[in-house]
Amino acid sequence: MFERLLIANRGEIACRVAATARRLGIETVGVHSDPDRNARHVTVVDRSVALGGASPATSYLRGDAVIEAALATGCDAVHPGYGFLSENADFAQAVLDAGLAWVGPTPDQIRLLGDKVAAKAAAEAAGVASTASIVVEPGDDVPDLPFPLLIKAAAGGGGRGMRVVESPDDFADAVASATREAAAAFGDGTVFCEPFLARGRHVEVQVLGDHHGTVLVLGDRDCSVQRRNQKVIEEAPAPGLANAVRSELHRSARALAEHVGYRNAGTVEFLVGADGTIAFLEVNTRLQVEHPVTEAVTGLDLVELQLRVAAGEALPLGQDDVRLDGHAIEARVVAEDPSEGWLPQTGTVRAFHGPEAVRVDHGLAEGTVIGTDYDSLLAKVIAHADDRTTAARRLASALETTILAGVGDNRGQLAATLRHPAFLDPEALSTALLDDAPELGEASLGDADETVAHLVALAILGRRNGATHGSSAIAGVPDGWRNLRTQGERSTWQPSGGGDPIDVELTADSRGGNFQGEVLVGPVPGVTEDGTLAADERRRLTTRLSVTAADDPSTHAALVELDGVARRVEVRWSSDGRDAPIIVATPRLVTSWQRTPRFVAPTGGSVGAGPVSPLPGTVLAVHASAGDSVEADDVLVVVEAMKMEHSIRAGAAATVSEVRVAPGDRVDAGDLLVSLDVADEGDRES
Amino acid sequence: MQALWDEVATELASVPGIGGQRYVDRHRRRGKLLVRERIERLLDPGSPFLELSPLAAWGTGDPVGAGVAMGIGVVEGVECAITGSDMTYRGGSANPSTVTKSERFYEIARQNRLPVINLNESAGADLPRQADIFVRGGAQFKHLTQLSQAGIPTITVAFGPNTAGGAYVPGMSDYTVFVAGRGTAYLGGPPLVKMAIDEIVDEETLGGAEMHARTSGLADHLAVDEDDALRITRQIVAHLNWSKRGPGPSLPADPPLHDPAELLGCASADVRIPFDIREVLARTLDGSRFEEFKPLYGDKLVCGWGSLCGFPVGILGNNGILFSEEASKGAQFIQLANRAEIPLLFLHNITGFMVGSKAEQGGIIRNGAKLINAVSNSTVPHLDLMVGASYGAGNYGMSGKAYDPRFIFSWPNHRIAVMGPKQLAGVMEIIARNAAAGRGIEVDEEALAGQTAALEGQIETESTALFATGRVWDDGIIHPADTRSVLGIALSAVHSGEIVGADSYGVWRH
Repeated sequence: MFERLLIANRGEIACRVAATARRLGIETVGVHSDPDRNARHVTVVDRSVALGGASPATSYLRGDAVIEAALATGCDAVHPGYGFLSENADFAQAVLDAGLAWVGPTPDQIRLLGDKVAAKAAAEAAGVASTASIVVEPGDDVPDLPFPLLIKAAAGGGGRGMRVVESPDDFADAVASATREAAAAFGDGTVFCEPFLARGRHVEVQVLGDHHGTVLVLGDRDCSVQRRNQKVIEEAPAPGLANAVRSELHRSARALAEHVGYRNAGTVEFLVGADGTIAFLEVNTRLQVEHPVTEAVTGLDLVELQLRVAAGEALPLGQDDVRLDGHAIEARVVAEDPSEGWLPQTGTVRAFHGPEAVRVDHGLAEGTVIGTDYDSLLAKVIAHADDRTTAARRLASALETTILAGVGDNRGQLAATLRHPAFLDPEALSTALLDDAPELGEASLGDADETVAHLVALAILGRRNGATHGSSAIAGVPDGWRNLRTQGERSTWQPSGGGDPIDVELTADSRGGNFQGEVLVGPVPGVTEDGTLAADERRRLTTRLSVTAADDPSTHAALVELDGVARRVEVRWSSDGRDAPIIVATPRLVTSWQRTPRFVAPTGGSVGAGPVSPLPGTVLAVHASAGDSVEADDVLVVVEAMKMEHSIRAGAAATVSEVRVAPGDRVDAGDLLVSLDVADEGDRES
Repeated sequence: MQALWDEVATELASVPGIGGQRYVDRHRRRGKLLVRERIERLLDPGSPFLELSPLAAWGTGDPVGAGVAMGIGVVEGVECAITGSDMTYRGGSANPSTVTKSERFYEIARQNRLPVINLNESAGADLPRQADIFVRGGAQFKHLTQLSQAGIPTITVAFGPNTAGGAYVPGMSDYTVFVAGRGTAYLGGPPLVKMAIDEIVDEETLGGAEMHARTSGLADHLAVDEDDALRITRQIVAHLNWSKRGPGPSLPADPPLHDPAELLGCASADVRIPFDIREVLARTLDGSRFEEFKPLYGDKLVCGWGSLCGFPVGILGNNGILFSEEASKGAQFIQLANRAEIPLLFLHNITGFMVGSKAEQGGIIRNGAKLINAVSNSTVPHLDLMVGASYGAGNYGMSGKAYDPRFIFSWPNHRIAVMGPKQLAGVMEIIARNAAAGRGIEVDEEALAGQTAALEGQIETESTALFATGRVWDDGIIHPADTRSVLGIALSAVHSGEIVGADSYGVWRH
């Protein structure tokens, strides 16, 4: 077995590989880009080598730098994870040429199977059903295939460089853009096209071969739900497959693996039509993102088996030893916010904690910056149970109780999907469930009442600045106490992953320590044009809150009773910072919030009508005229005073409403030179 | 008792909108917040706010509340005395009650060393009533500079006009914030300037916020709007580097074992029906803990030690009228509290000192003098809570208003007068009869009965809690169940200054 392993990847998969290596007593060396300098994957390896750069092409795709790092640190093997260099045959060859072991199939196998067109030929030769598939280049004629077509990167995976072409008119553009994207993502711009089977089930079979001729079939997986061909939810085993179809899939996968003498872990992908017809898609010559569901139902550590095979060991078990137990489902938590049109979300992770009851693979830590350089996968949550429905519920619940603050994500939608009848019924299950059920895209975590309970606990218990910031209030006097009440105590809370801030107003009618009274949730009525207040349309709830003992001194726990229904709610600060997200938890939902600053500091250094002359002097030049839009720091006027030139700049972005001086004018200190209409934007003040 | 509170609650509810809906709407239409909304925005999240004398001017003809809000709240962790004028009632102009109330405000700030925040906008004095305002009203500016001289910061935020004398409110303050386009300050407005020197000038040029920020230097900060002004004010308080001089709470602030909500039922609505003051203590003090001093001696004056919201406190509470023993016990207890530098809480339920030959021969004047000597010369903070009657010299012996307690709060059943209405009317009747007898005139029984009843009614009316609070004889009527919170805030406030005990007194008449 290896002594020291270089993990040529980042994020959750680098962490996951490192965990197995550590368990096996193998030293680990990581690599990292500049923005990943403080990433979790750097902290979980024994040491990590800086690759420089930020984009994949200047960092994790630099095979020579990776090999150099491995050699410099005395590694004897390289694990590529998935993505990046994992299916790059030249890189695999270079690793081998450098005298290092490659944790993956041989370069020839990668080349053969990674080329989807060649793979189809091999599949056909091995007796696996295959559909037509044509390599295309920008500028090619429209092929003679039934539309819609699917264009895919020959070298890729994960949907990058993938396009569905609905009509021949769109073909040329799609090929061109897919080629560009593939070249950027994988370093290889080859793309091919094949008939697009919109409603087929995407079923894949996990295989694992060693140097001794053993091929194991470790069951199948279904990429149950995708969104625009991006896998979102995966499970093992594939649900609703007839036994005959399942057997045929397993047989085909084994036949192909044996045909090519496959070594290490791979995945044979198929589309299965509603009638049970099987179309071979491709082979992924690497560990898959969704491998944990196979690990859950087989009880095997695929990375361990990969390492053993790569070290030349025989697989420690035979096909008869493979047992499939229960059902496992994986959900991919990505930094994409369905409620914001699936835009990739960027931000800094302020808190992350997955529930104990499930497996959570992630590369997150407090302070992890989610940028746009890498893919948007934040974490994978995997639930395992005796049956599919239980696994789905357990996973939904796990997603709802995962703490993730600071960046927008799709957990609400994942949980709603897992609870959706069309998901729970294998017959009705459609890969395109998300594309077909737009209401799922708007789903948020928890139901309205649950969220209100969180807000109430937050507004009452979160009044203090933080766990260790103490209270501004007077000991023994109830928070927010009034002897003459004109309005309730108002606060505004922002979900820390994004979304609209919510106003909460508390009106206590109790005089004791615990809160009892009315809570209003929703926008505070504003002042209308005639000075009266707008109609109050807030939700009104009779509330009682009694503080209960918490396990942890930094946590406030309380029973929150809303209109007669009580829930135990916990409120705690994710860290000590003054603006640290506040985590609110009920047994079935965890949310995180930040108090919206009560005051907004006006933009610009000086408020008021505009810049003034600093000294008595003469105007030398005027660089603005009425109606101009100016940015902060733009020079507006130059004044000569005390034999020096003074540039008078805009304090903030503004529109020039009036220029009050002309070159040659004498001005006095404090004279307003230019009237500005400052843009109505503000910086936040904590 | 509930009925008495309901009457108070109704009055309280009317105060924030006392200017009338039309003026409230007009105020809001101008993008302005009501004074109490400004205070709400200014305070820290979770901060309590104890509004003082909310029913000042009740029964005087001036608007209930006197057109000004004032109280104690926490801003950036600093307990401040906050006041603001209610622009919706006669343009925020001052009436005689406003002057009385604001005198009390500055007194509280000075005695308790509380930083002052003045959310100001006022048209100045209510001119037709200037005779009752002008002469004594000028003290406000003296108070501001004397506070400053004493090291107590003063911050004035100009939300609107600060006219004539009012211009000295920002002028005398340590810090000033002006709201752009809203806050103005000038000694004479455009009409007066025209009259006096025939200058025609607009308000902004004469005394606008921009002018004061850029030219005159009166405005330290120019705020873009009301919210910005409150933000700047909070920033100012944050940099004051303020710390309280008194010791912090040193004892557990656990709630009483008996429910404070029961306090409403503890006292008697009719002050003539006695109740045990220990019932109040059991529902007010931390953990209901009370270490009684001399329980077997002078038992009509209950004295002892306890704590409230963690602050140690010495308590004197009435369980009946004061005899010689009670008076000398109280005098001794006050001296002990001064030696230990512990604030004193006086719970008034007193109809006076004992009268009669036995009491006089027993030296009730001599012993009463000891109590008044101790009360007068005591230098630890005194807090008064009126839980019943406070009649006659009993009021003095219990550190009544004239003895400068730091705070006085009343329950709604409170009665205050030189003596009970019935006694007073009865005394007057006897005097009338004696006078008639001296002159040999027959008493007109019917007329005398009418006179006596009318007098009793008048005194009855003039001794109620509402009448007292309207004249700022106290700092507010409170719900009995709020006692702990109110006294807690007050005690915390008094600890903003040093707590120093007296080391000398007047000559004791032993």
